[in-house]
Amino acid sequence: MTAAPPKLALRDIAKSFPTRAGPLNVLDGLSFDVAAGDFVSIVGPSGCGKTTIFNIIAGLLAPDRGILAFDGVPIAGLRGRVGYMMQKDLLLPWRTVLGNVVLGLELRGVAAAEAADRARRYLGLYGLAGFENAYPRALSGGMRQRAALIRTLIVDPDILLLDEPFSALDYQTRLYLEGVLIDAVAEFKKTVILVTHDIDEAVALSRRVIVLNRRPATVRAIHDIDIGRQSPVAARGHPEFRSYFKILCNELEIQTGRGGE
Amino acid sequence: MSCALARAADTAVGRVAIQLGLVALLLALWQIAVGTGAASAFLFGSPAGVARIFWLRLADYSLFYDIWITVYEAMLGFVIGTAAGSLIGLALWYSRFVARTVEPLIVAFNSVPKIAFAPIVILWFGTGLYSKVALAISLTAIVALIAAYQAVKDADPDLLSLLLTLGAGKNQIFRKVVIPSALPGIIATFRINVGFGLVGAVVGEFISSQRGLGHMVFTASSFYDLDTVWLGLFVLMAIGFLLYFIIDIIERRLLPWKMDQQRAELHV
Repeated sequence: MTAAPPKLALRDIAKSFPTRAGPLNVLDGLSFDVAAGDFVSIVGPSGCGKTTIFNIIAGLLAPDRGILAFDGVPIAGLRGRVGYMMQKDLLLPWRTVLGNVVLGLELRGVAAAEAADRARRYLGLYGLAGFENAYPRALSGGMRQRAALIRTLIVDPDILLLDEPFSALDYQTRLYLEGVLIDAVAEFKKTVILVTHDIDEAVALSRRVIVLNRRPATVRAIHDIDIGRQSPVAARGHPEFRSYFKILCNELEIQTGRGGE
Repeated sequence: MSCALARAADTAVGRVAIQLGLVALLLALWQIAVGTGAASAFLFGSPAGVARIFWLRLADYSLFYDIWITVYEAMLGFVIGTAAGSLIGLALWYSRFVARTVEPLIVAFNSVPKIAFAPIVILWFGTGLYSKVALAISLTAIVALIAAYQAVKDADPDLLSLLLTLGAGKNQIFRKVVIPSALPGIIATFRINVGFGLVGAVVGEFISSQRGLGHMVFTASSFYDLDTVWLGLFVLMAIGFLLYFIIDIIERRLLPWKMDQQRAELHV
């Protein structure tokens, strides 16, 4: 028997966008694997194509070249099977918290009563009980992002794609939500890919960090973060935390430095 | 001092009292100007004359009849035109090709003063109800169409992406994101279109009719009966005002999520 294929594999993915000045190569031969249950962070200089990678995995964009494989089977994209979270909470302002949380279930044709039951259970689990009938605008940023996290988890996606989900929140709220995320990921055994600018967050949350090069994005380095799964606050106090942080900083500083070209 | 006074009067009742006071003042000035001969009653009419005509037309019910006719024409045109325009505008979301193709045609049609169609509309639809409704439709439909299409184009692309990642199909995205996010823009046109509905009805009546407020105003002015002309205009104003508030109520009903703002008012 051979070893199980990775949960998700990107092989030689390329994508360019037409611009007035000619095609802009955003990705050119990007490859990496994500194992089942892995928590991978992608860091890199801004504008290096991280969101494009997510859009390809999510099936919103077709790559020009390369293969995307899920459980060893080539696929066009994981549309309908990923949980996508962005910096914006993307709650529908015309729906109540409950209405927003059931959105994914509703789209899958789950009966309304059953969906609402499930949503109430999740809302209770994540401290949003009592806010079922509130509209998003009445909630704080942290609560809105928590509702977005519930909406993401409730459909039981194969992979979570998190595109700087906490970067608009204050530090305290961010630490709290990072903890909520880590617990949820452990409980529901999710595979996670997190895009972040925040090296600190990448080290505290991930098992592996992928560092990308400047556009066109290719993998510069992959670091295993070996500080064990613990709360994001405890992880930041781990003796190894500083050294990982330093390594990643150095790697990114070289790329973002003015003389780097 | 004046500031303190303004603050004391700044309640719902206080404001209405001041507003009514201003209207009364204007009417009084008008009456005095006509009474002293400073202005010609023949050319300007007078509030007392308007009131007299008002009672006469109430007493023989002819005012109610004219109001009913005009409101009926305007509402029919408003509802049909706004509904048809909004639906077409929404539907244009489905096909970028169709939308881009017809967009310049819509802009071209919109740039024609629709009132200029009135003579043709009378030829086609006769001098009765249909011509007024048709005119009101031509005014309201295009406004609703352009507003709805613009609102649809303004739907947040990130929300559309979110729905796609959740596995939604095009129809689901249309129903769950595009329509609700376009609704405020569409309802905003209701306010404008209520007025345009009245414009269509009254202009239609100006050109050819035997009844309605437009007919009343038009025939009265040809007899230099300024009191009746003013009465017609004041009644039209009152109708427009009332319809505006009805739209307000509809908006609150349809957009509860926009209405529950509980933030403190900011005083600058």
